[in-house]
Amino acid sequence: MDELEVLKDQWQRREQDFPKFSAKDIYPMLLKKSSSMVKWIFYISVAELVLWTALSFLVPESTKEVNEEMGLKTTLLIFSIVMYVVTLVFIYLFYKNYRSIQVTDTIKELMKSILKTRKTVRYFVYYQIGAAILLLIFTNLVYYTKRELLYEVFAKYNGGYAAIPAESFTTVFFTAQLVVGALMIIFLIIFYRLVYGILLRRLKRNYKELKKIEV
Amino acid sequence: MTEELEHRFVAQLEENQNIVHKICRLYTHDKESHNDLFQEITIQLWRAYPKFRGDSKFSTWMYRVALNTAITLYRKSKRRVRTQDYEGVSFKIQSEPYDDTIEEQLKLMYQAVKTLNDIDKALVFLYLEDKNYREISQTLGITEVNARVKMNRIKEKLRKILNP
Repeated sequence: MDELEVLKDQWQRREQDFPKFSAKDIYPMLLKKSSSMVKWIFYISVAELVLWTALSFLVPESTKEVNEEMGLKTTLLIFSIVMYVVTLVFIYLFYKNYRSIQVTDTIKELMKSILKTRKTVRYFVYYQIGAAILLLIFTNLVYYTKRELLYEVFAKYNGGYAAIPAESFTTVFFTAQLVVGALMIIFLIIFYRLVYGILLRRLKRNYKELKKIEV
Repeated sequence: MTEELEHRFVAQLEENQNIVHKICRLYTHDKESHNDLFQEITIQLWRAYPKFRGDSKFSTWMYRVALNTAITLYRKSKRRVRTQDYEGVSFKIQSEPYDDTIEEQLKLMYQAVKTLNDIDKALVFLYLEDKNYREISQTLGITEVNARVKMNRIKEKLRKILNP
């Protein structure tokens, strides 16, 4: 390759025309904030961990009372204990992976550890969505088998439901549950596609490129 | 202690800044992004500096951190104004007479290199810096054999770009 050799030769021999930063220019640079990818990933990941953990706290009092009367209290308590333990495990894993991101690693290792950190959070979100869906199915099954009791309980705590005749209550209630659940899931999928699609596109492409070399 | 570390770091960076500039020029398309990337690389170097033990040369260590920043960590800024005068490589005019055709050839070659993907660019850059395949493979995290094979493919790719 003649041209590349010529370029290499000139590259070595001749100085290129660059701006020259003096020590005076460099000192303030050390104080500036980084705007790196890892920082963004860290912020977004922590936000997700917090958001999803907070969401499980945000169960309205009335729902708790409804569930108590429906005889679901113990089951839900066990369920939330398991959720907390799993969440803690995920936070630990995320922290461990995040710490392993080193800018002094090889290019491949660096990309790998970033993707791994992201994967932990992604699995956490999958797990949260999965658990939410399971919980939704489970409670609705219980509700369905005890739908007369459900109507009574609901009419007691929420005046609006008393207005609905008992016959159509079952249909209205379960349709609403289904529609809200489906909408939430669609919203989440779109959100994740957008955020991580944009953030990780270049990284994923480069990582694929590096892996291709190894085959 | 920290101050001493800071002085030593700034002195070393000042001396070796051309390595960073070369990477910035290869990976950005305008002056603003060039300086932006330079800034980010400086931060990353400074953060990693306390762990730099000096068992390798400062410049060798710099290659890795700077390339990692350019390829993986750097988030392109939104200011995407492509300035016309920024056309890549510009060597300082030599005192000895030089050939116009070589100058033209260089420019074309450099432009071809800039069209490569991020990873290929890193390989070519290290090659231009006269790094051997062992160093290239260690920076990228691939095997030496694969680095060699890949470099040959890139040369082929560049030849096709230049002689379509």
